[in-house]
Amino acid sequence: MQHEYPRNGESTHPSSKKPKLSSKFITESDIRDEFSHHQQRVARINNGSYGSCPDSVLTAQRRWQLQFLRQPDAFYFNVLRDGITASRETIKDLINADHVDEVSLVDNATTAAAIVLQRIGRNFAEGKFQKNDTVLMLHCAFQAVKKSIQAYVTRAGGSVIEVRLPFPVNSEEEIISEFKKSIEEGKSNGRNIRLAIIDHITSMPSVVIPVKELVRICRAEGIEQVFVDAAHAIGSVEVDVKEVGADFYVSNLHKWFFCPPSVAFLYCKKSTSSSDLHHPVVSHEYGNGLPIESAWIGTRDYSSQLVVPAVLEFINRFEGGINGIMKKNHDEVVKMGKMLAESWGTNLGSPPEMSAAMIMVGLPSRLCLHSEEDAVMLRSHLRDRYEVEVPIFHQVYVDREEGVRDKDGFITGYVRISHQLRMGKLAKCFIRNEEAVIKVGEGFHGITCVLPASDVCCISQFLKNRIKGGQGAARKNWNF
Amino acid sequence: MNSTSISAAVTPQPLFITPAEVCSEFSYHHPSVARINNGGFGCCPSSLISYQRQIQMQWLRQPDEFFFNQLQPGMLRSRNVIKDLINADHVDEVSIVDNVSTAISIVLQHMAWGFAEGKFHSGDATVMFHCAYGAVKKSVEAYFVRAGGYVIEVPLPFPVNSDDEILQEFRQALDKSKQNGRRVRLAIIDHVTFMPTVVMPVKQLVSICREAGIDHVFIDAAHGIGCVDVDMKQIGADFYTSNLHKWLFCPPSAAFLYCRKSNQSSALHHPVVTHQYGNGLATESSWIGTRDYSAQLVVPKVLEFVNRFEGGIDGIKRRNHDAVVDMGEMLAKAWGTQLGCPPHMCSSMVMVGLPACLHVSSDQDSWKLRTYLRDKFGVEVSIYYRPPKDGEVGPLTGYARISYQVYNKVDDYYKFRDAINQLVHDAFTCASLPDSYIRLV
Repeated sequence: MQHEYPRNGESTHPSSKKPKLSSKFITESDIRDEFSHHQQRVARINNGSYGSCPDSVLTAQRRWQLQFLRQPDAFYFNVLRDGITASRETIKDLINADHVDEVSLVDNATTAAAIVLQRIGRNFAEGKFQKNDTVLMLHCAFQAVKKSIQAYVTRAGGSVIEVRLPFPVNSEEEIISEFKKSIEEGKSNGRNIRLAIIDHITSMPSVVIPVKELVRICRAEGIEQVFVDAAHAIGSVEVDVKEVGADFYVSNLHKWFFCPPSVAFLYCKKSTSSSDLHHPVVSHEYGNGLPIESAWIGTRDYSSQLVVPAVLEFINRFEGGINGIMKKNHDEVVKMGKMLAESWGTNLGSPPEMSAAMIMVGLPSRLCLHSEEDAVMLRSHLRDRYEVEVPIFHQVYVDREEGVRDKDGFITGYVRISHQLRMGKLAKCFIRNEEAVIKVGEGFHGITCVLPASDVCCISQFLKNRIKGGQGAARKNWNF
Repeated sequence: MNSTSISAAVTPQPLFITPAEVCSEFSYHHPSVARINNGGFGCCPSSLISYQRQIQMQWLRQPDEFFFNQLQPGMLRSRNVIKDLINADHVDEVSIVDNVSTAISIVLQHMAWGFAEGKFHSGDATVMFHCAYGAVKKSVEAYFVRAGGYVIEVPLPFPVNSDDEILQEFRQALDKSKQNGRRVRLAIIDHVTFMPTVVMPVKQLVSICREAGIDHVFIDAAHGIGCVDVDMKQIGADFYTSNLHKWLFCPPSAAFLYCRKSNQSSALHHPVVTHQYGNGLATESSWIGTRDYSAQLVVPKVLEFVNRFEGGIDGIKRRNHDAVVDMGEMLAKAWGTQLGCPPHMCSSMVMVGLPACLHVSSDQDSWKLRTYLRDKFGVEVSIYYRPPKDGEVGPLTGYARISYQVYNKVDDYYKFRDAINQLVHDAFTCASLPDSYIRLV
């Protein structure tokens, strides 16, 4: 009795079915349907944090999940490895890598950081690195990356150089100049810089970094290895790993590339050292190379890693494919950012050419955002009271840094707005004279909050009063 | 209105899940496969898959709100359910991770730091049974050996006839290492071994470890919860880990790692580091970056499902055990072979000897036979090659590991019985299959 389990390379996985060829591109109405599972009342302008996934991809994911559950042994032996390889091949082509062996799939950029940094930790433990050898990172690196450096580098005896990037920023030259300065300072203390970690697009505040140039500087300065944390990159800026030239490059696919939570790729340029990279969760495949190790880290749901070809099918329904989507998102987010900055009399955190699908917009100084706690409270308030989801950044000025002013004072807060397709509605926030009026536009009908004139000066005081009155608890908040 | 006559009415007994309902819950399983390998990847009823989807949709609907308001309370609820199930003292002792492989890596990474930071010295040892799961051995190589440690392997007698046989081997191995002056830092002991499968006398093994002054005792109970009795205080280990998707009906995948409260336990870290680093393993594990945590959030609902069965999880365990022993004995009788251990040393799985004429002569043969049974007969079952010992006459070298879970029927085992009988009738031997028959390298 012959059974249906594909053997010898055939696959029955859903995305191997040939797509129906259509001369029509996806319509606005199709897009709305694809994201109809989003909470419709919420102005969802924070795609940068957790991304989004269309319905057709979720359906493909479910088929994979059910296929596993239906007969898991056959799936494991006959389907899984080929499915993951197909995803890796898709990504290899997208990012212009030389060889599929350079592409591993992991859960997220945080996992990739742990993989790279765990190896650094081993190098210290095994005497390959000496005490005080250094890792360089941007001061605004993602918090998880900083903690990973603490866990694997500092704990092992290494030291850290933080490069403080200017913000708001006006040109790539400002970043390049700061970066060069920090390396010189680091080297002048006689330190050996073993690894530089550079964001492609910083998280908070969000700015597109001139990575190619910074990698070139690292090479010129003799920094051993470069790791580009491009969590936000794929689907939001062009990704060409050979152009960028780093040793390691990671990007999440669930943020801007429509994959379900969660999947990221870690690119490792072929070299002698890349063979000593290991997934921290060790399983049968230990020693067979990182891509193979990562493809099996024990029994789990691998469906989000298997849908990558299906995601590409979705993307190619758009005119211009991913490039078309990226351009549209960029143009829209810049347009919306400028509109908000003009309404509020504030500024953009970076020029348009240094933003991708996210941009930082200054908040009116009248909101008196004086701390991280204020930023947290305002964010929660916007979510709870106005159904606007947007992360808030508190800008800290140090030493002789010059602040940017609006007509009332220094701008100490920024919102990071994202644009992804047409699924989100936009919040328009105005602050007017004696009244603070927060109005949500584009589809909403004037949800307003009128603050008493006496409270208008300080949002934190206002919110604290609300909290005392039991209208919402302050929550610990992390900006992603 | 006088309500006493109404309140005196007897509340009807809750109805237990019926066989038809069980059938329906697992009706999506491949209908023509005799699925007698629950020990491999476990199973999940339809109602829990649906519930899991609801959680997934809640996240996708508004992920920021879910992250800030729902995720942590949900994880804490799951951890509390597990804490009660396993009789742990405090919910801080319970972390949820993806699977036992992850838990193993967490504990072994901690040991590696012990070497790096001078708490352990080069040559300090870990002791484990030779049949420890392959992934565990690799993890020991990756973390413990690489950091300078040494491995003591204890042979597991198989077939085995009593707990004493196992305890004796273990004591002998520890005595020998003591004589060699080797310090044993960690013991890794299976609660239920993977292949060949046997229930180990963990409580006694832990006592022996304590007597011998071993620093840490770690129980790998991948097959523990839902399969054998799991009581942390009874067992007394420092670390204990079990999968929830194998025998407790969770969707793939979730496992718990129990760490007895001590000075040491606060120093364990999840290898994937986030902003929660330093807040305790349980908190670190509940956020390891953006991912789908739904499998970990369904645990309270899993308990509801389990409690629809008479006797709850204990009733399920008992019935599974009785059934698998019955089926094992039926097969052994039909083939003229034997069970690999006495009934009291099996759980919901048992090893059944295969007819010697099949000539299972290597691990490769066992993989080939397994694949052949799947492809030609629609039987999914794990096969084990048991190398003959010096001086043995005509030993059985092939065993099947059969599992029994609530969805199994007697027909599944008849199908297997008949498949093997057919192979014997056809004078089949493993050698008749080419080596390339197995896809996997």
